[in-house]
Amino acid sequence: MSPVSTALTREQTDLRQTVADLMAKRSPQDEVRRLMAADGGYDPAVWAELAALGLLGLIIPEEFGGSDAGAAELAVVSEQMGRALLCAPYLSAAVLTPYLLLGIADATECAEALPRIAAGELRATVAFAESGSARPPQHPGTTAVHTANGWSLTGEKTFVLDGVGAGRYYIHAESDSGVGIFAVDPGAAGLEVSALNTVDQTRRQARITLADTPARLIGAAGAGAIALDTALDHAAVALVAEQAGGTMQCVQMSTDYARTRYQFGRAIGSFQAIKHLCVDMLLEAESACSAARHVAAAFDAAEPDRLTDLALAQAFCSDAFCSVAAATIQVHGGIGFTWEHPAHLYLRRARTDAQIFGDPAWHRERYVRIREES
Amino acid sequence: MTDDDIRTEVRQWLAQNWDPGADRTGWTQRVFDAGWSAPSWEPEWGGRGLSDPQSRIVAAEFAAVGAYGSGADRADMLACTIHDLGAEEQKLRLIPPSVRGETRWCLLYSEPGAGSDLAGLRTRADRDGDDWVVNGQKVWTSFAAHADYGLLVARTDWDAPKHKGISFFIFPMRQAGVEVRPIHQITGESEFNEVFITDARVPHANLVGEPGDGWAVLQLALAHERRLMGDLARTSKSSGDLKPDSNSLIGMARAAGRLSDSHIRQEIAVVEGYAAVNRWNTRRAKNTADKVEAATLLSLGKIAMSRILHETARVQTEIAGGETMLAGPDHPVGDAITFRALNAYFTSIGGGTDQIQRNIVGERILGLPKEPEPYRDTAFRDLPH
Repeated sequence: MSPVSTALTREQTDLRQTVADLMAKRSPQDEVRRLMAADGGYDPAVWAELAALGLLGLIIPEEFGGSDAGAAELAVVSEQMGRALLCAPYLSAAVLTPYLLLGIADATECAEALPRIAAGELRATVAFAESGSARPPQHPGTTAVHTANGWSLTGEKTFVLDGVGAGRYYIHAESDSGVGIFAVDPGAAGLEVSALNTVDQTRRQARITLADTPARLIGAAGAGAIALDTALDHAAVALVAEQAGGTMQCVQMSTDYARTRYQFGRAIGSFQAIKHLCVDMLLEAESACSAARHVAAAFDAAEPDRLTDLALAQAFCSDAFCSVAAATIQVHGGIGFTWEHPAHLYLRRARTDAQIFGDPAWHRERYVRIREES
Repeated sequence: MTDDDIRTEVRQWLAQNWDPGADRTGWTQRVFDAGWSAPSWEPEWGGRGLSDPQSRIVAAEFAAVGAYGSGADRADMLACTIHDLGAEEQKLRLIPPSVRGETRWCLLYSEPGAGSDLAGLRTRADRDGDDWVVNGQKVWTSFAAHADYGLLVARTDWDAPKHKGISFFIFPMRQAGVEVRPIHQITGESEFNEVFITDARVPHANLVGEPGDGWAVLQLALAHERRLMGDLARTSKSSGDLKPDSNSLIGMARAAGRLSDSHIRQEIAVVEGYAAVNRWNTRRAKNTADKVEAATLLSLGKIAMSRILHETARVQTEIAGGETMLAGPDHPVGDAITFRALNAYFTSIGGGTDQIQRNIVGERILGLPKEPEPYRDTAFRDLPH
């Protein structure tokens, strides 16, 4: 059984405070609302601030201009961002993309792209899902053909996180030599990027179509599937931490309201119907938080059970965030049913987070599959 | 002395003194004289003034060699209560034989009419010369048949509000007027008893604190009990590092030919998710230096464990299907599942129901207001019932 410690170190506690302060200043609710309605979906000044604090290069090795931090630090940061519903392409650009490049170990691409990502100069994203599933297909319908002029991609990708306006797309496509990752730059011939109408306006998505679009192969042509799966697993550590943070914030909002809202001459939190609901929400939130901390530590320690633990954590945190955000609306009653109240923003985020790297049922099936094979 | 000094000393002492074949009375006296019976107490009560964590070290060293006789300062509820709140005469008379294991105790708290609302108890004690005469019925008492004393809460003032008319006694169990009947539980087992008390007597000298102080004495006794339960939870494998039934769910589904059923696969992962997050909560509570964080996580442990036990039994029932209608040695799989389904209530009701625990967490951890208590200051005899 894993001896990994989930206690925060002094440095991690300081990091948490730094990010919490930043979120309080830069991602209060009115700012979230403004960015939900804004074209780009995030504030470039805040993005620059994240770069200056070393947060965009958090998991990037020092040789590429990053902070070389572990999953535990990433979880600390993501928890605070999730709590504040930060509108920014952090998960796609500062987490998934670097993990993919580091995993596929293309020295040239790492040297060119990672320092620019850490500095906030390049905002890239990864396009892997196709119609029907948010998980990468085993055999992508998007195909890569090697021509006299290099690689050329044709196909369609969807659910692409922060796709509109990205500075580079890393695209998962099938070639004669297997599934590979291909870089496509904006403005390439045949590339079309269109915004999807998302339920959660704090987390943008796009559809990408490619028609004989010139692309560069990153790493080996057959190495894409494993590299992408591994990157998604590492990035999921950040996602579950975001979910845990969002869940904790929902419990906070609900209990604050239950203490101060009076009906029948009593604070509604004195009624067991509300009190017990809040306690059940607390159990889910604390459990999600422990799950996020645990999987981060397990990935840092390369624990042998980390994938089964992650599968359980992803399923649990997805369900926990959705159910607690839903209960938050219920605890708030009528006011929670209004657009102006933030409760529904959390539910929208929760329902999106429960899909983007695979739904809870997918992760549960994965858990049993790994267990029965071992 | 450092922790290592203590460890070394107790190890050496055990190496020189522990003999598994030793006569019980001689052994417990030697443990007492050496100050290992209740290491955190004073020498006259079988201790040597160690800190609480050091006392745990001693008990752990005893356990490591299979020796008994240490740890009374954590596990002996009678001695703990008397040590903290008893009169000098009570200490002298009751502590040494109890920590040496010569006298045994049981708990006479709950009543058929006073479960979650323990302060509503109706067992009465009436003063009669140097004695109190006790009448009433207690329930959920373990080890009642073999106990010399019962830690008894009884009502001595019916005109005071319910929390203020209770007194705490060390009640002699071996007397006419005390009848112990085993309770037949829904699982078929009998771990607990009912205790019927009819005109039984307890000397005034066995009253702990003053008449009417019983509720406060009880809170301290219950705090000792909670600490003991916490110790047991920390050292038991079920709440720590063992995955409860984790292998058996997949194994059971495979054996039943249901492992290819996608619904069963989903259910297995749901339950194992509950068990996993509970392990991670426990570990986080253990690792953190933040006391509020640890208290929050520990307070949720009971509710979490209830869910794991009930849900595990539910999914096992889905896996085994019709077999769970059958009982007895010819149907071991179904029989064991039914046992777990029923025994899960041991956790969700025992030691305070999950609903009472939710009240406690809601009020103490989340800071939600208590229910109004309209009868807080009403004389007990005027309460509706």
